[in-house]
Amino acid sequence: MGNQTQEFDVCIVGSGAAGGFMAKELCEGGAKVIMLEGGKEVRPDELISHKWPYELPFANLRQEKQAYFYQGDVATSIRYDAQAGIYVDRARVLGGRTMHWNAVTLRYAPSDFREWTLAGVEDDWPLTYEELAPYYERVEQVIGVCGNDDGLEILPGGKHYLPPLPWRCSEHILKRATDALNINLISVRKAVLTKPYDERPQCHHCGHCMDGCDVSAIFSSPGCTLPKAAATGNFTLRQNALAREILVDREGLARAVSFVDTNTGKTEETKAHIVVVCCATVESARLLLNSVSPQHPAGLGNSSGVVGHYLHGHINNSAQVYLKELQGTKPVNQDGATDHVYIPRFDYRDSHRGYAGGYAFQVNYDSYMFPRQAMLMKGYGAGFKRQVRTMQPGYMILGGYGKSMAVKQNYVSVDKNQVDAHGIPIPVIHFQFVENDMLVWQGMNKGLQQIVSELSGDVFRDNGGPSGLASHEVGTIRMGKDPKTSALNSFCQSHEVKNLFVTDGSCFTTSSEKNPTLTIMALSMRAAEYIIKQRRLGIV
Amino acid sequence: MKRRTVLKIIALSALSTHLDAWGAMFARSSDKRAAWAWAAGDYKLQFFTPEENDLLDRVMELIIPADGHSGGAHAANVSLFADRIVSTGSDVANVDLFVNQAVSSDSQKSEWRKGLQLFQQEAAKSSIAEVLARASTGEAKPQTDLERFFVTLKQMTLAGYYSSEIGIHQDLEYQGNTYLYEFPECTQH
Repeated sequence: MGNQTQEFDVCIVGSGAAGGFMAKELCEGGAKVIMLEGGKEVRPDELISHKWPYELPFANLRQEKQAYFYQGDVATSIRYDAQAGIYVDRARVLGGRTMHWNAVTLRYAPSDFREWTLAGVEDDWPLTYEELAPYYERVEQVIGVCGNDDGLEILPGGKHYLPPLPWRCSEHILKRATDALNINLISVRKAVLTKPYDERPQCHHCGHCMDGCDVSAIFSSPGCTLPKAAATGNFTLRQNALAREILVDREGLARAVSFVDTNTGKTEETKAHIVVVCCATVESARLLLNSVSPQHPAGLGNSSGVVGHYLHGHINNSAQVYLKELQGTKPVNQDGATDHVYIPRFDYRDSHRGYAGGYAFQVNYDSYMFPRQAMLMKGYGAGFKRQVRTMQPGYMILGGYGKSMAVKQNYVSVDKNQVDAHGIPIPVIHFQFVENDMLVWQGMNKGLQQIVSELSGDVFRDNGGPSGLASHEVGTIRMGKDPKTSALNSFCQSHEVKNLFVTDGSCFTTSSEKNPTLTIMALSMRAAEYIIKQRRLGIV
Repeated sequence: MKRRTVLKIIALSALSTHLDAWGAMFARSSDKRAAWAWAAGDYKLQFFTPEENDLLDRVMELIIPADGHSGGAHAANVSLFADRIVSTGSDVANVDLFVNQAVSSDSQKSEWRKGLQLFQQEAAKSSIAEVLARASTGEAKPQTDLERFFVTLKQMTLAGYYSSEIGIHQDLEYQGNTYLYEFPECTQH
């Protein structure tokens, strides 16, 4: 089933948020596209999201429900040279992390693209919010986003939202507290359908977003963008095709992708005029760094030495609150669609905060099934058991997501001496939070304390140090105006390999406190439009 | 048929299967009869001896006892859950757990065995209830082997109990994990 003789217009590597949109847009634009995906499809009827813990061999304590998304040896073929609490997420499944996400979809603010100009740190992006805004709008319409335009400069809104998710009692109580502090609490914006949309059913409020949505009410590329690509007749999908390296011609342009068929173990090639890399921040950098040739001795498109560097993402903390008003009340179904509300960044109003960037809080992103307070309370016996039961209806969790800086010393490398099950050098994560990150984290702790102090309840704070990168890692193949300090131009096109594009989170110049996936999809859509135009003009 | 056509058909058929499955999912409900053996009660011990299991069962029942509201750790077969977890400590690749303390790798098996032996020895001098009370006094900052074992034992008990049918449905009266077409807005607060 190889494609050695067939030459495609475009080969997309990776089928997640970026790859899915790239495939849809290119196929609808008339390009003949092949997509290589290292994993395989997990059909909705294969998911076990709704299984009870006691129906599973390890009661889901070993995350059996999510094991489908980590196929092969992807979970173990990585090494960390990083501080404690650092973790990057590498899914391997058709759809990538769109199969395994909470779907919070937030636009970056205009200021998030201009860190150097406004704060004198990092770099400005080579594009502005205004340039990306039309693509945000179009992506939101394709995927279906619930929520409101709240009129906040720090969190720009769109025009086509589905109805917001209803609020739980804990969220109304939280609103009283945030109102008292003059902090905004808004309906969350999520790629979750609150009514039937585009032939997809609405959410059934089971709370299993992260375990895989069995009806595709939450956006995933296999449930939305890939069928649209397939419907054009221009799309070819190759699953279990793990990219080994991108091959180049004598001029150093990409000519093919070498991949391993993980079923047969055989290495094959697929030829294409254009290669678009969408394997996510760690894996995309790994692929380029493993694509060494005489023309590109430091890795593909890496004469600047930038590829792999500037790894960053979110810095986190959290608190569990058991609200007194709700303790001891009759248990009701509170699962919903996990987060229903969101606390947007508010620290920007403090000009003396002493750090660049800021933080926001996600709320109730976790299941109500397991009483987490039991693991944190001291004691045992009948009183302990009764107390756990009494507290459970009052459960609320607040999770802080803060900006971490894009700095060169944090990076992904590949270890030529340590290979995965298919002989491909594994990635190594080098990461330490820097001073500004820690100041953001301290500010986030203060903000969290401020909010929980306004609430009457039992509070369990995360007393460990900072953690990250919250599955939101970005930045390893960054965009920029200067080819000496960046790998891609504003259309995610390699500065030096003109038929190479990278449109996943690795293309970010800097990040903010906001979840990155909506921006990834908007950038991918914009790059796809650029590719279509360039092809028509015969330039690429 | 050309190879490329075959590939397209494969891709399209997979995706159309996906589309068909959406409707089917609504008819499917979770089958409680599919409970794992440790929960169903016909489980054969893999690691603990019957004597160790008996001790474990008694201690766990003291940690989460039956009361007028719901069954306790004994009724929920939590000691069998512990046997399942301890005996299979490292056989699952994806082991990013939120109850790390309760998870036993192969190297931790001996610590479980030693812990139970220590508990048994101490209980022989007094009673299980007294040993448990003494072991729990250092829960915040365990210093002795007995205190450290208490933390492990308690975490395992909680993980097993609150993932059991009794813990979820009887004790917590958890109402979720279902298909709820309309999620009600809270109007009382």
